[in-house]
Amino acid sequence: MKFAKYFFIFLLLSLSSAVWGQAAQAPAPAGTDLLPNIMMYILGIAAAVLFIVAMIYVVKVNQFLYKRVLDLEASKSGVQLPEAPETVEVEADSFLTRLRKKYWEDAVPIEREHEILSHHDFDGIRELDNSLPPWWLNLFIFSIIWAGLYMYYYHWGGNGPSSAQEYEMAVERAEKEQAIALAGLGQQVDESNVVALTESGDLSEGELIFKNICAACHGPSGEGTVGPNMTDEYWLHGGGIKNIFRTIKYGVPEKGMISWQAQLTPKDIQKVASYILTLQGTNPPNGKAPQGEIWVEPVAVDSTAAPEATPEVQ
Amino acid sequence: MSRIEQFQYDNRIVRAFGMAAFIWALVGMLVGLILAFELIYPSLNLSQLGIPYLTFGRLRPLHTNAVIFAFVGNGIFMGVYYSLQRLLKARMLSDTLSWIHFWSWQVVILCAALTLPLGITTSSEYAELAWPIDLLITVVWVLFGINMFGTIIKRRESHLYVAIWFYIATWITVAVLHIVRSAELPYSLLGSYPVFAGVQDALVQWWYGHNAVAFFLTTPYLGIMYYFLPKAANRPVYSYKLSIIHFWALIFIYIWAGPHHLLYSALPDWVQSLGTVFSIMLIAPSWGGMLNGLLTLRGAWDRVRQDPVLKFMVVAVTAYGMATFEGPMLSIKSVNAISHFTDWTIAHVHVGALGWNGFLTFGVLYWLWPRMYRTQLYSVKLANMHFWIGTLGILFYAIPLYWAGWTQSLMWKEFTPEGTLAWGNFLDTVTQIVPMYAMRAFGGTLYFVGACIGVYNLTKTASSGSFLGDEAAEAPAREPKIAAVAGEYWHKWIERRPIQMLLWSAVLISIGGIVQIIPMVFIKSQVPEISTVKPYTPLELAGRDIYVREGCVGCHSQMVRPFRDETVRYGEYSKSGEYIYDRPFLWGSKRTGPDLQREGGKNLDRWHYDHMIDPRVTSPGSIMPQYPYLADNELDLSLLPAKINALRKLGTPYPKGYEDRAIADAQAQAQQIAQRLKEQGIQDEEIANTELMAIIAYLQRLGTDIKVK
Repeated sequence: MKFAKYFFIFLLLSLSSAVWGQAAQAPAPAGTDLLPNIMMYILGIAAAVLFIVAMIYVVKVNQFLYKRVLDLEASKSGVQLPEAPETVEVEADSFLTRLRKKYWEDAVPIEREHEILSHHDFDGIRELDNSLPPWWLNLFIFSIIWAGLYMYYYHWGGNGPSSAQEYEMAVERAEKEQAIALAGLGQQVDESNVVALTESGDLSEGELIFKNICAACHGPSGEGTVGPNMTDEYWLHGGGIKNIFRTIKYGVPEKGMISWQAQLTPKDIQKVASYILTLQGTNPPNGKAPQGEIWVEPVAVDSTAAPEATPEVQ
Repeated sequence: MSRIEQFQYDNRIVRAFGMAAFIWALVGMLVGLILAFELIYPSLNLSQLGIPYLTFGRLRPLHTNAVIFAFVGNGIFMGVYYSLQRLLKARMLSDTLSWIHFWSWQVVILCAALTLPLGITTSSEYAELAWPIDLLITVVWVLFGINMFGTIIKRRESHLYVAIWFYIATWITVAVLHIVRSAELPYSLLGSYPVFAGVQDALVQWWYGHNAVAFFLTTPYLGIMYYFLPKAANRPVYSYKLSIIHFWALIFIYIWAGPHHLLYSALPDWVQSLGTVFSIMLIAPSWGGMLNGLLTLRGAWDRVRQDPVLKFMVVAVTAYGMATFEGPMLSIKSVNAISHFTDWTIAHVHVGALGWNGFLTFGVLYWLWPRMYRTQLYSVKLANMHFWIGTLGILFYAIPLYWAGWTQSLMWKEFTPEGTLAWGNFLDTVTQIVPMYAMRAFGGTLYFVGACIGVYNLTKTASSGSFLGDEAAEAPAREPKIAAVAGEYWHKWIERRPIQMLLWSAVLISIGGIVQIIPMVFIKSQVPEISTVKPYTPLELAGRDIYVREGCVGCHSQMVRPFRDETVRYGEYSKSGEYIYDRPFLWGSKRTGPDLQREGGKNLDRWHYDHMIDPRVTSPGSIMPQYPYLADNELDLSLLPAKINALRKLGTPYPKGYEDRAIADAQAQAQQIAQRLKEQGIQDEEIANTELMAIIAYLQRLGTDIKVK
């Protein structure tokens, strides 16, 4: 049987690719990572099998319909199609046919269905006594075995991770990746070494960020709505690039200013803080009344030499 | 041979349920369309004009209830009343009972259509209706049961056909689900709190909700398929054995699968895993029904080309097969991590609702109407048109939403190499998919137009024929005792015994629920206590009830899952102990807006004020409705003492006598918020007495009971 052949070839291929993937990954993960992979492969193979089943089914229906349509068209136009030679099944089922009937598909052909037709009818509905489609039964059995394995691995004996452990592993992995990524970027900008940017490209990117996220509380021109006015010289938490950077990065949760360090990269914070500095003295309409104290940039502070000299304003 | 008896089938009741199904289908779909457009144009909510009844939050439950209980519900009764009489060779037990059943069910639906827009809701999905309506539903269901079992008892057919097995299992399971889910303590004429709280309420809810899909949208429709598909195709059912195995397996396994709605939530892992594995085991039993449907068409496929009835049925059964494969896939935790809370779920359920339930109902109606009116279908051409427009509608509905769900989820999860969220602003992930929402609305419109063509076609068919109200039939009387025939199939035994059938169904459908729910309710260690978690203050409680009334839960979850992107975006992931005072639980199942579990203290009161009056002031591009009326409506605290009493009875540790201080407490807290708002620039002397104070109090409390890193 053609389908059975393709099916087994495909199954073998998917199996071998699974083994291949396993080998390729082998050196990297520790032993604990092996089992989830196996689960994923089992699942992958199951999905592949299901997919093949569906495809074969579609092909079969298509072939069947095609033949029907052909017959129909022929009878409509009165053309006599050459009769297919009467096949008399005398020989015993071949090995593959037996295999197919056992594991795959075992329907009684329509021509012989009177042999399995129920004698009784319900309001004209009769039932055939076809056996359970073997592939369907196998699918059912397979899913039950899979369920047992799953419960064993995660609960009854295996060492599958709990949701909380999965989370911790993911965070740990991410922190490592992040450290590598940050190391690759060289010196990081933070509140101790940040300087105001002046390039117009940087400032326009900062403006974009400001319009997207800051404008909601500080107004589109920085005039202040819920949050304070950004265009005057009064500051609640200190003016100057370092204080603004710190306020954006850590937020002032008790006053409603959230921390942005999860959502903005240090570079982004630097850009938007630099943009905010350019708003000084723009005096937009509807400006909110000043809050906080007048900020005077400490004269003696050299931003590269003495970061710890940044005044703390509370 | 026993005497041949003459009797008549009642077609009038079938026609009544059929017409009701179609009318409610149009209503339900229309409400769905309005919702689809509200997501694109928020001004369609009309709440900015002070009209509170048509917001997304209030209409969404109306849409789901109208489609499930009004459209499909009447469809079930239509199919059952037609097929049951014929399969049993008997008229329904009592015509009067049939009509009481019909009209009381329409009253239930009307009550739902009135109360839900008014904001009278329990917020539990598909069980939103107020407790008096729950009682009425119970009565209706019992009446239906009496009518059905009475007919079964006086049947002339000794054996029960597979369709009737499904009807019996449907009846008993829906009864059990409805009673357990509706266990609630009333505090007023229309208000109540559920007896379960937090994580237990969530488990009971999705045990119920998932099996509303299983035993309201699936098993009765499988029964209908088993009658109408072989009739329409004039072919024998493919496999009797398959129907036996898949029936018992389906009803036993289905009931366990509910927790797949709560994967990665605060529900204990073992219950989640049961939900996953039973969902996977459900593929084969579900597909058993699809196979028996499609393979019954062997030898009739040529007629599928010509007969619109069969076309509808084939697509219906295929949609059933696709949805029941997709469902288990979505129940695998790693897939669910992506699909959950997105529009993927919405697409999934609509393949089932529009494809399976919708198309099977249309197929049955197109088959029934010409028969009952003794005429030909008015126009096969129009029926074909309906079929193609409907099919296109389903595709245009589902595909954009699959795309939207996938896109949005990946955006939520994307990190920059530096470890910050690539889309830190939730709103960006919403505006990204609004074009997909527009495509979906187009698909929904197509489907709706198709249904309208169907109504026209059926009306024309009816007017061209003459209705046969009482259809004459004859059958031999039933032998009083049927002995087993030697060598008969073992299952024949129970097919002669409807009561055994009912009992065994009841046993099988009880096991899953018992194993999952009982330990969660009675074993304390399943919900680890957190000492800092305290009951809501009276004002917060009032705010929570407004949150429930407005249907906020339709778009906002309160469940931070243990994923890195969610803890970075929202804060520490949710613990089951945080929810012990939540009646009802408000975890939600869709994030059209961001999660609110850790909302408390994130934004200023002023921000909430501005955001409620017009969300687009604080969040440009937001698709949330405006709620200016919250700042106008006077806050009604008169029910607070009754609420506090009810909650204390259910186990919330409010001290004795607290109900007397509750109102004063609430007013004092409202004054504090009003004062803070004043400091933040809101000059409104009246504001302290408005509903907005309560909702702000509630939002600012959310998630603050445990220390957030």
